[in-house]
Amino acid sequence: MIAVDGLVKRYGEAEILKGIGFSVGKGEVDAIIGPSGGGKSTFIRCINGLERFQGGRVTVGEHTLLPTTDARRDRELLRTVRRKVGFVFQQFNLFPHLTVMQNLTEAPTLVLGESQDAARGRAATLLERVGLAAKHDALPRNLSGGQQQRVAIARTLMMQPEAILFDEPTSALDPVMANEVLRVMEDLATEGLTMIVVTHSMHFARHVADRVHVFAGGYDVETGTAEQVFEAPRHEVTRAFLGEARKS
Amino acid sequence: MALRFAIFVWLLGGSLLASPARADGLADIRRRGELAWCGDQEGGGPYVFPRDDDPSRVTGFEVDLAAHLAGYLKVVPRFVQGPWDKLGGLVDTKKCDVILNGYELTPERAEAFEATIPYYVYGLQLLVRKGGPLEGWDDLGRRDRPRAKIGVLTGSAAETRMKEFCGTPERCEVISYDGSTDALREVETGKLDATLQDTPIARFYAPRFPALVPVGEPVGKGYYVAFVRKGARELRDALSEALILLSRNGTLAATYRSYGIWDDAQRELEGIVDHGRFYGFDKAVRADVSKPELPDSETVHLAARKRGFEVVRAYGGVLLESAALTLMLAFGSFPLAMALGLLVAVLRLYGPSWLRAPLAGYVEFLRGTPLMLQLYFLFFVLPEVGVTLPAFWTGILGLAINYSAYESEIYRAGLQAIPHGQLEAALSLGMSHAQAVRRILVPQAVRLVIPPVVNDFIALFKDTSVVSVVTLVELTKRFSVLSLSTQATLELMGMTAVLYLLMSYPMSLLSRRLEERLGVAT
Repeated sequence: MIAVDGLVKRYGEAEILKGIGFSVGKGEVDAIIGPSGGGKSTFIRCINGLERFQGGRVTVGEHTLLPTTDARRDRELLRTVRRKVGFVFQQFNLFPHLTVMQNLTEAPTLVLGESQDAARGRAATLLERVGLAAKHDALPRNLSGGQQQRVAIARTLMMQPEAILFDEPTSALDPVMANEVLRVMEDLATEGLTMIVVTHSMHFARHVADRVHVFAGGYDVETGTAEQVFEAPRHEVTRAFLGEARKS
Repeated sequence: MALRFAIFVWLLGGSLLASPARADGLADIRRRGELAWCGDQEGGGPYVFPRDDDPSRVTGFEVDLAAHLAGYLKVVPRFVQGPWDKLGGLVDTKKCDVILNGYELTPERAEAFEATIPYYVYGLQLLVRKGGPLEGWDDLGRRDRPRAKIGVLTGSAAETRMKEFCGTPERCEVISYDGSTDALREVETGKLDATLQDTPIARFYAPRFPALVPVGEPVGKGYYVAFVRKGARELRDALSEALILLSRNGTLAATYRSYGIWDDAQRELEGIVDHGRFYGFDKAVRADVSKPELPDSETVHLAARKRGFEVVRAYGGVLLESAALTLMLAFGSFPLAMALGLLVAVLRLYGPSWLRAPLAGYVEFLRGTPLMLQLYFLFFVLPEVGVTLPAFWTGILGLAINYSAYESEIYRAGLQAIPHGQLEAALSLGMSHAQAVRRILVPQAVRLVIPPVVNDFIALFKDTSVVSVVTLVELTKRFSVLSLSTQATLELMGMTAVLYLLMSYPMSLLSRRLEERLGVAT
């Protein structure tokens, strides 16, 4: 479904990704954990074309993003990739001037040409599913962080993506709200959605992900099943990181 | 809703104020059936000034003269209001056929325009305060007194004359005013020691300013002539013929007597007429010298100075009319300024890179040059390359273009204040860049900048007063005209201020309501 090969990303002199890559099959859930500054967010942003990269390639289905991919020239390619692969942000990024319902229906009507009625119907179902049926007409600023993130997930689902990238979706939330969001994500995983999740939630990585990657210093230092990584970490960075994570 | 109203006002204004056909030569005047003559009613009596019974119309000896001239050409007169020092531009750009507003014959003007024979012989009369320290010209230059202050009309022969007299180093101080009665009032109140005025003004306003007395004989004789566009000789000759006829049959004398401005100096006109010696005008006039039927020429007196509520009753209506023009200008131009400003801002931020420098230039140029200059360009210079816009649309366009520069900067700041995550979120949902800008960024930016935009609207509201340079008489110009001809400055000022406030305060309220309802983004 998604294949990333030897991704290199530089900001000026600093090399953030030093040739990372892995593949995710349909219905699989990969978690990326590791210390801050390890390149986790940058990695999934490259997959969605939100960042350009200097080396390697990203393949989504039959579409390929390359270092030469240009925001203007290749905008149709980028739009296609983004329609297939949704993105959930750490800061939710709901559209503050639109109601919850409008946040959900805006893109499908605009991008897919779906009718308002059809979009509203699907939106109502999705809001019900993330437990926010009563919030149709609320503005984002009147929702809690957890509610906002669930709306953001529903908004992404409206585009019926084949996969969703999550960029630390619970890092801005307190534990109670984080759990609301994680439950929704677990449901999605159970239903067979392809996901790549950058997360600080060890619980999610351990119990929901099919595979766990540990990123540090721009490398994928360790990859394995949750059991392998958590029970028998081979790399010292992993051991140190897990040690810190347990303490907190 | 507000937008629809603005568009309505805009269209209405256009249909009411679209100016008729452009002025051209004699043949064209006949074809149009009207003689468009220009003057500035702000100059005041006895030339052209607001009628006492209907301040939205004008009266004055030049109004009567224009009617006679038009009658001779068998057309109707139409008055075109313009700033006194810009009347030449109006004739040049064919917005009127003839200047008839106390324009003295000078070598420079004779060079730039075609001059008719004179229609009035004026002198310059020194006026001082009764019982004041000055008794004559000799007192002005005396070095044993404090330096005298003398008021004159800007750009007039009196100004030139007085500056020569005072010399350098200055024996006396010359202070220039835009309206002739300003100086009269200042002498009355003691701020000035004297004023030098054209004889018609000195005579006409004598009853209104009883505290002033003329001292000495008039000096610096000169001629008022009508000026037409360079090259329009046929028209010039026709007008001269008409003046010869009006002089011979006594119409001129009767008209001047009715305004109390006939004096012995006018006898010179008869000689001029007889010899036709001005500027080679020697065409034999087959003048019908029989006495025309003149209306009973009662002497035109200035109405008594009104005070207090009388002023409100007499001039409230005409001030309101001008306020309506101010409203139309503001509501007509500001939506355009907003739309244009938003377009410029969006193109500068998200448009092709080659557009950025020209757009930055557009903004800097418009912000860095005065609105008045831009209006002047649109109105007086564009016609030279064949683009002629009616005054109302010039006002709308000038204000809209000027304010679009300010609006674009506000929108640019607003757009840049939207967190980058908003664009990313929109793109990640598959929206195109254009869709994201249109549906996600712009609506948020627009909400964010409501307060500064309303602020600008109120500023524009007051800047509409600048459009008087393109001959529109909006509220401030009307105030100025009325105040100069009635001297009821205090009352008129109060009424004008209240009208502006009544128009702009609801804007502030609306802004607050909008902010509350739309909410400020993020």
